[in-house]
Amino acid sequence: MRKFLQAGAALLVLALYGCGGTGVDFIIVNATEPQSLDPHLVEGVPEHRINMALFEGLMANDPRTAEPIPGIAESYTVSEDGTVYTFKLRDAVWSDGVPITAETVVKSWLRILNPETASPYAWFPAAFIKGAQDYLDGKAGPENVAIRAIDAKTFEMTLVGPLPYVLGALTHYAFGIVPIHAIEKYGKDWIKPENFVGNGPFVLKEWIPQESIVVAKNPRYWDAANVYLNSIKFLPTEDENSAYTMFIKGEVDWITSVPVDLIVEARKRPDYHNSAMLGTYYYIFNNERKPLKDVRVRQALARAINRAELTEKVTQSGQIPAFTMVPPMSGYPGAKKFTESVEEARKLLAEAGYPDGKGFPKLTLLFNTSENHKKIAEYIQQQWKVNLGIEVELTNQEWKTYLETRDRGEFDIARAGWVGDYQDPNTFLDMFLIGGGGNDGKYANTEFDRRINDAAKMRPGPERFKVLEEAENLFIYQDMGVMPIYFYAVNNMIDTSKWDGWYPNVMDFHPWKGIRRK
Amino acid sequence: MIRCNVLAYVLRRIVGMVPTLFIIVTLSFFIIRLAPGSPFSSERNLPPSVIANLEKKVHLDEPLPLQYLRYLGDVLRGDLGYSTKHVDFTINEFIARALPVSMTLGALALVLALSVGITVGVVSALKRNSLMDHSLMALAILGISVPMFVIGPLLQLLFSVHLGWLPTAGWLSSRAGGLTLILPVLTLAVTDFAYIARLTRTSVLEVLRSDYIRTARAKGLSQRAIIWKHTLRGAMLPVVSFLGPAFANIVTGSVVVESIFDIPGMGRFFVNSALNRDYFMIMATVIVYAVILVIANLIADLVYAALDPRVVYE
Amino acid sequence: MTPPTQDTAVAGKSLSRKAIDRFLKNKMAVIGMVVVVLYALVAILAPVLPLYGYEEQVLDHQYLPPSLTQTGGELLLAKKTSEFESLARSQNRPLSAEELAQLKALKHTIANDPKHQRRYLLGTDYLGRDMLSRIIYGGQISMVLGLVGALTSILIGLLVGSIAGYFGGRLDAFLMRSVDILYSLPYMLLVIIFMAVFGKNILNLVFALAGVSWLTEARVVRGLVMSLKNSEFIEAARSIGASPFRILFRHILPNALNVVIVFTTLRIPTFILMEAFLSFLGLGVSAPMASWGSLIQDAVGGMTLYPWRLMFPALAMVIFLFSMNFFGDGLREAFDPHSEKSI
Repeated sequence: MRKFLQAGAALLVLALYGCGGTGVDFIIVNATEPQSLDPHLVEGVPEHRINMALFEGLMANDPRTAEPIPGIAESYTVSEDGTVYTFKLRDAVWSDGVPITAETVVKSWLRILNPETASPYAWFPAAFIKGAQDYLDGKAGPENVAIRAIDAKTFEMTLVGPLPYVLGALTHYAFGIVPIHAIEKYGKDWIKPENFVGNGPFVLKEWIPQESIVVAKNPRYWDAANVYLNSIKFLPTEDENSAYTMFIKGEVDWITSVPVDLIVEARKRPDYHNSAMLGTYYYIFNNERKPLKDVRVRQALARAINRAELTEKVTQSGQIPAFTMVPPMSGYPGAKKFTESVEEARKLLAEAGYPDGKGFPKLTLLFNTSENHKKIAEYIQQQWKVNLGIEVELTNQEWKTYLETRDRGEFDIARAGWVGDYQDPNTFLDMFLIGGGGNDGKYANTEFDRRINDAAKMRPGPERFKVLEEAENLFIYQDMGVMPIYFYAVNNMIDTSKWDGWYPNVMDFHPWKGIRRK
Repeated sequence: MIRCNVLAYVLRRIVGMVPTLFIIVTLSFFIIRLAPGSPFSSERNLPPSVIANLEKKVHLDEPLPLQYLRYLGDVLRGDLGYSTKHVDFTINEFIARALPVSMTLGALALVLALSVGITVGVVSALKRNSLMDHSLMALAILGISVPMFVIGPLLQLLFSVHLGWLPTAGWLSSRAGGLTLILPVLTLAVTDFAYIARLTRTSVLEVLRSDYIRTARAKGLSQRAIIWKHTLRGAMLPVVSFLGPAFANIVTGSVVVESIFDIPGMGRFFVNSALNRDYFMIMATVIVYAVILVIANLIADLVYAALDPRVVYE
Repeated sequence: MTPPTQDTAVAGKSLSRKAIDRFLKNKMAVIGMVVVVLYALVAILAPVLPLYGYEEQVLDHQYLPPSLTQTGGELLLAKKTSEFESLARSQNRPLSAEELAQLKALKHTIANDPKHQRRYLLGTDYLGRDMLSRIIYGGQISMVLGLVGALTSILIGLLVGSIAGYFGGRLDAFLMRSVDILYSLPYMLLVIIFMAVFGKNILNLVFALAGVSWLTEARVVRGLVMSLKNSEFIEAARSIGASPFRILFRHILPNALNVVIVFTTLRIPTFILMEAFLSFLGLGVSAPMASWGSLIQDAVGGMTLYPWRLMFPALAMVIFLFSMNFFGDGLREAFDPHSEKSI
């Protein structure tokens, strides 16, 4: 026993004095350990934040608006029909001095599309570039992918159609440019600190899995003059409450979420930033099950709840009540909004054969386990009960079980959320095509499908938006295929009186480049 | 003669571990595949070709028996494979980093729980039904009924936010160094402390009134000698039984403590791998836990026999 | 069991009377018993008690602190007033006309709307639901699970542990290795699969809990039995030809019981809290129904702002556990044949 104690004490003493700290300029709580640092092997938001420090694509993001601005590409031209893009690359080099050429871009994109790379996000470039899907599916070779290096500094790509949102997409890590020469040399380990080669404003310095990632300024970055931080530390802290405490105590400089229960307190602080986000929280109706098959029932359910009260009092984080599927977006006029009305809802329900909710079967409402989803479900359950006289049962499942249940269509009503990959209405609509990947509620309207498919072939501009708007009107206002609840908002905490160059925006993208201490 | 018996017993147990571990690995390998969802299921519903590529890379496209044989071969070579969630390091590398962290934390917590728990248990038993006894036992019950996910944040609130003495979270290499150990160790120790204190008190009482202590007392041995030499020895028996599994649990980490205090330990692997359907990581956690448990239980059994001469293993 | 002969019946009666006397003399034990009975009564009678529904939401009343004297409306008014005042103070100005008008309007609604007459002895939660009611209803499931976990762990743990300990050898090896295997299987996934296959209901919840609750118990019992079986008094019983089962159940287990009972009462909170974990996996109680575990879990994040949400469910649970402990201790000591010769 005593030996044990001695050993313990010795260890404690050693621990207390044995380790010093590392001085870094900026610490961010990045919420989780990244899947990978390889831009072609990741699919999450925390990974994206690290990626923005280490790599840069052809296009980068404007820190204020998140709109695409030139990155490794200096300029570009578009062909008449909007399908061929030609990029002029700037004189940029990798962190080891090797120049970045058009050939590098070609090889990088072929790498993510290569079935052997097994990239979870490979479908994204495949949806844009001509011939890419066939290569990804193993039906054709890489030579069929319509990208090519015209000369060392000129890169050309041909799209499947005149996709207007492609420039925004190019900032995504799925279009990432990677150091092929380093990958060939080090294989899988190219991403370890000792081998690392990147082209972003920072390079990887230290990576202790589950503990921290430290990046240091990249002196060879083309715009190094505008990089002000010398180093950034990413912490994988998962517990939101601990992260909040650390922020309040000044142990970290930026946290990317706020615990729901503390929003009220956080809101009063000047370092709290709330901004709308390109995402929609909604409930899926199982369109094939009775009584949800009846559009009047779906309308009644959607119109019987008070979204303003829900967002103000229950979720409290600055979410915006949603009466359409597509969040407000620049250029897109937005579809017709349905109105909330308990009276109307009761009338519709009565018409559908359930006056005062009589005879209405007990439906289940499925959500994945989370405090927030639970609160919302409890609130909506009560609203339906009070306003329509119907009972629903709440069922929660852990994430993967919930996904499986949803995918199999074994639910009546299910919670869902969607965050746009790029700023275009299409990303919120095309998944509800008949047989579409995200169409778990089996919404089916051929008129809707026709318009979505038409829009895909149209040039960008108001006319295309008009067609998408019609489609959305059919989907929500007329059919209530799903029930929109709110548009997401994000909560960040960072003291902008101390840090310059950080701005809230709809994509919640915050490039590291311009951030500096005031 | 006895020594020889013990040796034979230990040998038999060690040999017996092989089939036990084999059964655990085999059962787990097939059971986990029954869980709904897969490592690559996501809200985005990846296109089939992407899923196929991902599965092919980690051989999930092969028939299950073949996968099993492949896995068994890898494990025998000491290769636990790759996680499907965190792909840059091998599982061996992850565990090599995380297990020592959890073990350090767990061992410190266990030492704390044992030393305080036993002392409290003995004092309580000696001062049976006194105010001291009641309040110490109340403390133990409190410790066991307030869950770690409450104790942790409370300690943070007190020592980090209000008093400002200790860092909120982090691990040794962070700026605060060793100070980061204190709160997680305290949090982790509370539950086991409560068990040990309660068990010790009860069994000390039990032993104190048993015949051989009466004999010792009759022989005029001093109270101190009776307690330390005879009583404690006997009274530790239930604690030792309890410690086998408790040791395995505490040194493989606690997800609650690790996420509250942001500690890069093993505990999160247990929960996250299950939630992510990260098959190979799940298997790795099962194997690590099983090996430690089986050894801990063997040691517990041996210590038990050493403490109590009446216990004989045939 | 053999039918009691006349003799033992008489002896038993006087023994139990003595035990009851002893028990009644133990003040803590009696208090414990009263509290436990009270808890049980309140939980059973919850539907007929004058309580608000545990699911009834008054959104205006969210996050109200506990109060014995003030109604929900009064608390709301006080809260709003102090909010405005602190805002005004921070901007160095008196209350604006608009704020005063708002407060006046609020006062008016409060006076006229009966829902503002509601009283919340233990405060309200994030949807303006009565905490008292939620704690009482939550207690139903939590107490049942705590006790079921304890009972199954005693029954199975005693059976497996004593057989392994008493018979030893291969049987012991087999049983203990089985325990090791059950410990090591990935429990979380087993629960997930179990739920996917059999769905969610109380019985499955109990089953998931009981499946693992007895493992450590079995090891503790086995150890005790191994120690006791070679004691002199057991040798004596064996020498007069008592059957193994008689020895086990009449001589060994009664002596092991003290430790086993203490250990089991210790595990009750673990079972209660485990429900919160199982409901994360989807197997616990369905919202909006609560349990002590889920109430505590939901309250942790906001404990600085709304401490009552954490304090009261935790207090309800701790008081219950204290009472169970004192009650249990009292019973044990009262019926313990040794306790007369106390030291």
